[in-house]
Amino acid sequence: MMNAVKICVFTILVAAFYSYVSQMVPQTVTYPPEDTELGADMTTEDLVAAGEEIASGKGTCLTCHTVSGETGGRFPDLANIGLVAAERKEGFSDVEYLAESLYDPNEYIVEGFLPGMTPISDPPIDLNDREILAVIAYLQSLGGAPTVTLDTELRWQSEENSAGASTSSQASVSGAPSSENLSGEELFTMYACGTCHSVTEPTPLLGPSLYNVGNDLSTAEIYEAIMDPDAVVSEGFVAGLMSAQLRATGFYDKISSGQLKTLVDYLALQKGGS
Amino acid sequence: MKLLARRLPSGVLLFLMLAGLALVAFWTPDAWAQEAAGQVEYRSFPVVGSRVVVWVIAQLHLMFGAFVLAVPMFALTIEFIGFRNGDKRYDDLAYEFTRLLSVSFSFTASLGALLTFFLFILYPRLMEYLVSIFDWTFMLYACVFFLEAVFLYSYYYGWGKMPKWLHLVIGLCLNLVGIAIIFIADSWLTFMNSPNGIDAEGNLLSTWDAINNFTWMPINIHRLIANICFGGSIAAAYGAYKFLGAKTDEERAHYDWMGYMGNFIAIAALLPLPFAGYWLGREIYAFSQSLGIALMGGTFSWLFIIQAVLIGNLFLAANYYLWLSMERIHGAERYRKFTKWLLASITVCFIVWATPHSLVATVEEARAMGGSHHPILNVLGVMSAKNTAVNVLILTTYLSFLFYRRANKEATVSWAKTGNIIQFGILAVVVGVVIFLGVYGYFVEASVRIGLSIPQVSLVLFAMISITIIDVFMFRKAKILGPIEWGKIPNRAQYALFFIAITFAWTMGLMGYVRSGIRQHWHVYGVMRDTSVDAFTPTLGYAANVVSVTVLIFFAFIAVVFFLSSLAGKKKLDAGEGTSS
Repeated sequence: MMNAVKICVFTILVAAFYSYVSQMVPQTVTYPPEDTELGADMTTEDLVAAGEEIASGKGTCLTCHTVSGETGGRFPDLANIGLVAAERKEGFSDVEYLAESLYDPNEYIVEGFLPGMTPISDPPIDLNDREILAVIAYLQSLGGAPTVTLDTELRWQSEENSAGASTSSQASVSGAPSSENLSGEELFTMYACGTCHSVTEPTPLLGPSLYNVGNDLSTAEIYEAIMDPDAVVSEGFVAGLMSAQLRATGFYDKISSGQLKTLVDYLALQKGGS
Repeated sequence: MKLLARRLPSGVLLFLMLAGLALVAFWTPDAWAQEAAGQVEYRSFPVVGSRVVVWVIAQLHLMFGAFVLAVPMFALTIEFIGFRNGDKRYDDLAYEFTRLLSVSFSFTASLGALLTFFLFILYPRLMEYLVSIFDWTFMLYACVFFLEAVFLYSYYYGWGKMPKWLHLVIGLCLNLVGIAIIFIADSWLTFMNSPNGIDAEGNLLSTWDAINNFTWMPINIHRLIANICFGGSIAAAYGAYKFLGAKTDEERAHYDWMGYMGNFIAIAALLPLPFAGYWLGREIYAFSQSLGIALMGGTFSWLFIIQAVLIGNLFLAANYYLWLSMERIHGAERYRKFTKWLLASITVCFIVWATPHSLVATVEEARAMGGSHHPILNVLGVMSAKNTAVNVLILTTYLSFLFYRRANKEATVSWAKTGNIIQFGILAVVVGVVIFLGVYGYFVEASVRIGLSIPQVSLVLFAMISITIIDVFMFRKAKILGPIEWGKIPNRAQYALFFIAITFAWTMGLMGYVRSGIRQHWHVYGVMRDTSVDAFTPTLGYAANVVSVTVLIFFAFIAVVFFLSSLAGKKKLDAGEGTSS
């Protein structure tokens, strides 16, 4: 019996040790990438900024490429790409070279590197033509002068893709809800949160007011309050009511992770009108 | 009802009970209505959420599955050795390993049923799609699983009750069917990572192409080897558990031997495992650079630092056990002086392997370093250094094995001195070239550097195979310096065996997570998005906690398996005692 207890304690200690080691490395939550809103009236400067955001986010460009000027990486460094792009491939302008590198990356391989980059217009990256234009503007800005606008036409663009929304293969398989692009306020209304909570007045309704929730709770706490409403119940309110309501209306089955994030972000902005 | 219970195997009963519970818990009238309207994509699970419950059950099923599929492989091998050399001890050992299977198989089947139910209930859209791709393979799997049950119970209950050749043939069939099971299941999960055989809309073009996707065969091979490691380590833990509770020297000797054999199997299989891992990694990159980078250079790169800690610990513990084991061998003292050098080599390799490329630092520290890369440690945190460290680590462990193997032997062949010089020469040259290639990797372009791991791996395999062949011939008619005193080993060696088993289980959990996690917000990579509330990738700390809980549940179940297996043995012992009195 004593041996069994010792073995049991030993097992728990070893597992706890590995859990402890795992808390020592950087702790990052990675959310699904979101589409970047690109307005028709964006200046080239705006486009560069949007392109940089896409390159480090949804485009996942900077997962493989560096922008440091250092050599020796697995993929070409992009620090001076705006400068050298026009000279890389004979008969290609800088925009054409960059466009081909993004739409059809294995067509031309920089010397010393191996092929293998995924076309970023295809899943899993799946940027639309407008987003790719923004990335090209950003790449041009790295050592050069950006010239592309959202009106720039490229021969690789597809008619349906340039419309703005991603329409490639997975849309038909994923069955992603069409309400994916709704704002936080629209989601708040769509899921009837306002029936019990007010965001415009500090007065509580059936549930606590969310007028100042952005100051009262962190983003993580707001997330928990939605996903597990009974974890912490505000004083004076009934436990179990909200969770029962959300289950009954099928909220947890309907809401996607993107919608949830939008909703949480919207609530985090409710700071008592300030 | 009692009659029914008596006639049905326990696994089937448990399966039915769980099925009933799952139906009661989830298939509410609302859900039925939604299902009929085809609206439900996901269902929620209380408290821990859908993802965690499927994650934990899948991992538990994999662990039991690995054990149940691996044990027959080495049980059959040991039984065959006993059959060939006529040593009954081998037959008894093979039977004792097999005895662990009966209860484990019930656990595996029950967890598999539970997993299936949870997947269909909580992820109906995903399962509908997978069924549309793999329809007939699910039926095949069910048939093969049934055959597995037939062969397994025939193998276990038929021990000593049928001609040996027939029993060995049944054991062989059991293993072939076991391999078929793992290959079929692997096709489903590898398709999710590297889909193939479908058109741009995700519609099926060829079921065979969907099965034979980029990562299918690498995962098959990697899992087969890893299962043997895992199964061997759990069997060794059983030996350790029985050793600690043994009442007589005879029992201690038997279970010491069992622990040693289980550990030998586990570590012998561990040595080629990194090579299978390289192959898998290459195929992931070949399928999609994005997926490969997410695995090794992006979101999950820090996970491999944790993996390095785990594997480093495994090598340390395995070597420690071997060194302790040598204490029970007369003649082994000749090799004791090398222990400190072996330890130094393992420690250095471990440290290099576990060195991260970038560091978690405060703003002040980062400023002092000139960025997140440490000026010196940065050099050790890249693949050139890590590949070299792993290869040297493998060779060092191999050397410990070699010393153990020779511990009580003295070569009598005339060419013994030459043989030793050749063996040393091969080892020295291979270590030298492996280190040279590692350093060379810093001075060449990426396209060349990536290819250097192949000659490194090939050289290490060449060294292990050639040195072993020379050793076998050199010690064929060796002089025996003293006996191996089985049972005369400190208790802490048994805890080393437990440590190895827990670490193997934890590593399996972690690697199971990353295999699934690299898809990130995709159920089927690039084809079907995860649009559930769990589409985000959690922190490594969170994942580690889930892995730890899973490992603890697994060992709680394994304790039940050990206990019940002991009872089965006790009954025979009691019956034997009754007869003799």
